[in-house]
Amino acid sequence: MDPTALYESFKALQNPNFFQDAYMQFYKAWFAEDRWLTYFKGLSTTLYVTVIALAIGVVLGVLVATVRTAHDQQRPGRHNPFLGIVNAVCRVYVTIIRGTPMMVQLMIMGFAVFATSREKTLVGALTLGINSGAYVAEIIRGGLMSLDPGQMEAGRSLGLGYLDTMRFVVIPQAFKAILPSLGNEFIVLLKDTSLISVVSGKEIVYFARAIVTKTYEPMAPYLITAAMYLVLVLIFSWLQGKLERRLRQSDRR
Amino acid sequence: MIDVKHLSKAFGDNLVLDNIDQHIYPGEKVVIIGPSGSGKSTFLRCLNLLETPTAGTITFDGAVVTDPKADIDKIRQQMGMVFQHFNLFPNMTVRKNITLAPVRTKLMGQAEADDTATALLKRVGLEEKADAYPAQLSGGQKQRIAIVRALAMKPKLMLFDEPTSALDPEMVGEVLEVMKELAQDGMTMVVVTHEMGFAREVGSRVLFMDEGHVMEEGKPEDIFSRPQNPRLQEFLSKVLH
Ligand SMILES: Nc1ncnc2c1ncn2[C@@H]1O[C@H](COP(=O)(O)OP(=O)(O)O)[C@@H](O)[C@H]1O
Ligand SMILES: [Mg+2]
Repeated sequence: MDPTALYESFKALQNPNFFQDAYMQFYKAWFAEDRWLTYFKGLSTTLYVTVIALAIGVVLGVLVATVRTAHDQQRPGRHNPFLGIVNAVCRVYVTIIRGTPMMVQLMIMGFAVFATSREKTLVGALTLGINSGAYVAEIIRGGLMSLDPGQMEAGRSLGLGYLDTMRFVVIPQAFKAILPSLGNEFIVLLKDTSLISVVSGKEIVYFARAIVTKTYEPMAPYLITAAMYLVLVLIFSWLQGKLERRLRQSDRR
Repeated sequence: MIDVKHLSKAFGDNLVLDNIDQHIYPGEKVVIIGPSGSGKSTFLRCLNLLETPTAGTITFDGAVVTDPKADIDKIRQQMGMVFQHFNLFPNMTVRKNITLAPVRTKLMGQAEADDTATALLKRVGLEEKADAYPAQLSGGQKQRIAIVRALAMKPKLMLFDEPTSALDPEMVGEVLEVMKELAQDGMTMVVVTHEMGFAREVGSRVLFMDEGHVMEEGKPEDIFSRPQNPRLQEFLSKVLH
């Protein structure tokens, strides 16, 4: 049956039951005025913001983790002063980002630092990326630190340099170890894109809210929003599981 | 070959090595014995600068190891080290474990390194394990491969830190056998071990360490048959009975 005809028939009822009422709300939030299109517009923004933020986050995270690990692994009595300064900057960055709410960071960036910018979606993506970088850095650093120090010692005792030992011995093992945490961070990032609507970033929540201001019925638009995020996360978790299983196969125990 | 002068090492307030002087000659097989915590590992690890000495100088083949400007990677290429816990790279095959360092340090090309690996693996009876991963090997096999990995760099000196202590008893023999052959081939070796039979048979000199000092040193027959130091007598009576 045609959704619009069904809607009209329920609307004519004097006392619609619970399900008929729910259907009418859903109709207004989805089919009416082709509103479903705007959710998908929001969804594409969500994916776009996630990809940009992820790229920024991974680059920042790798840089910061590299600096901090290299600094901590210097031989005693051989401290490089330049590395010391960069390391201090990295520590301040991680402390500030992890010590303040995402929402507040977005407001500072969106309403103060980039108050006049009209590319609010981009500002949101940048903020998310900077935020994510601090968490990614700590995940990577944790992975590098958790590896048996004997691995680094074995590489160095063979005469391999620090960078070669990192590249061939430490990083491949650390990467496998941190993959689950990185996946979780990616899921958090994906869901946090919803926050950029506070600075008028145009992703799913932004459009859902626009529909609510027209229909005055918040239930259906926000449930639809939640469902879309859930589907995205489920798809991603499935991919992540596949990748982890593949990496484990290469253990060949 | 190695000259150690006034070597001290402290971890915080804990003085682990106290002003040690030693000289190790080419071809010597120095065996270090002593109670746990006496500084044996720390001494060995100072020799290739896995630990940075607090004071003193170490010279290896004319190069001052303890000089901050020394090219430590170059020096380490000539000193192999075998660890108690093998420390094989679990993310690589046995062959890759062996060839990584010679190839990356430009000591050999990949083909030559592969040939060297095959030849060395044959020597320790593990040539069929070249494509296995460390996780598929027994402890004894892992340690023999760790020895081969160090030998592939063609070192002038080999350091062993309790190479058999983490092994099940039935696997100790196969590793000691490889080490004995290496000794017969004339390799200079410094071995920390609790295997007194090995010390007696292979050692050209035995050092007894206690509380950061070399308390007594000498030929194995003197150390084991006529120990002078009461701490050594006590130690031997514990480990030999
Ligand atoms: N990295 C370290 N940090 C602090 N203390 C250490 C460290 N390594 C060794 N020590 C201390 O140094 C002393 C000697 O250790 P070690 O050389 O391993 O003895 P051994 O090998 O003879 O058993 C011990 O008291 C140990 O606790
Ligand atoms: Mg020890």
